Amino acid sequence: MNKELEHRFVTELEDNQNIVHKVCSLYTNDKDSHNDLFQEITIQLWKAYPKFRGDAKFSTWMYRVALNTAITLYRKSKKRVKTQDFDSVLYKIKATDYDDTEERQLKLMYDAIKQLGDIDKALVFLYLEDKDYSEIAETLGITEVNARVKMSRVKTKLRTILNP
Amino acid sequence: MLDELELLKKDWQKREADLPKLSYEQIYPMTKKKSSSIVKWIFYISIIEFIFWAAINIIFSGPETMQELKDMHIYKVVMALNVINYAIIIYFIYKFYTNYRKISFTDSSKNLMRTILKVKRTVTQYVWFNLIIFTISAIIYAYGVLLYTPEGQELVQAAAQDGDSTEFWALIIVTSIAITTAVLFIIWLFYRLLYGILLKKLRKNYNDLKRLEV
Repeated sequence: MNKELEHRFVTELEDNQNIVHKVCSLYTNDKDSHNDLFQEITIQLWKAYPKFRGDAKFSTWMYRVALNTAITLYRKSKKRVKTQDFDSVLYKIKATDYDDTEERQLKLMYDAIKQLGDIDKALVFLYLEDKDYSEIAETLGITEVNARVKMSRVKTKLRTILNP
Repeated sequence: MLDELELLKKDWQKREADLPKLSYEQIYPMTKKKSSSIVKWIFYISIIEFIFWAAINIIFSGPETMQELKDMHIYKVVMALNVINYAIIIYFIYKFYTNYRKISFTDSSKNLMRTILKVKRTVTQYVWFNLIIFTISAIIYAYGVLLYTPEGQELVQAAAQDGDSTEFWALIIVTSIAITTAVLFIIWLFYRLLYGILLKKLRKNYNDLKRLEV
């Protein structure tokens, strides 16, 4: 492969790596799996990169490949997420940042999201990333109406997990 | 709830600072690594299946000489079957290859999963097709051996002399069906397990998206 292309790719990925890390932190529960998923997403991004025309933003295109990799990755199905596994890099809550109730509430929310299925997670992720419903729909391959329906179901699901 | 999600959104965006940061030198070697995705797994398993079943077919249609086949009066049928067999194998390999090429991680999630499942379906169809061909060949050979080889004829005659040729044929048929069913069941079970384990998550995710359409 073209050296220049490779250089451009690695630079762009370096600049946008946050997106991949966020996906990894949602879909994995420990550091090793986080790194494995990051590695796999990088491979898939690199494989698809020659076809990336630049007519979409690099980051938009990354969301798709990263989520698709996470959703289709073959993993040994781990037992339910245990709360103590939950201290993945992203969610170290600094006690000083929040008052107690808010902190606890957020922790519970993150916890609840971790328990969702792969597709629901993708939805929540795109929502948190401030994507609109048309982009969410397009990424997942469903209609906008269905994306809204699905999102409201996810909200209900989260509510049930939070207030059993 | 909505407020909580909004709160979460704000928090989520604040957390970017806590994310790990990899350097150029750390990312670069990753582009050289081999993928371990489900697609790779399916690809390798498929290749093994193509070779395995083609080999089974070739091995079992190998030893008989043309003369032997002619003596058994099954030469034409076997040849016709071979031609059909190879034509369809080529068709399957072509179909597998084109579907495999269509797998793209830049597609929407639903399309991506659909293509992956399609590739897997092609391979399953190929396996069933081979099993059918294999069964048909076995029946034709059994027919040829029993009716036209000296050993077979002796056996049939012996059964006829005992006066119970109906029972003899019934026994043959029942045994063949039992063996075939057992073999098919074991193979079916094997694939259920193999793909069941590999594709469980993918299927679930795909159905998750598909269910919305109804």
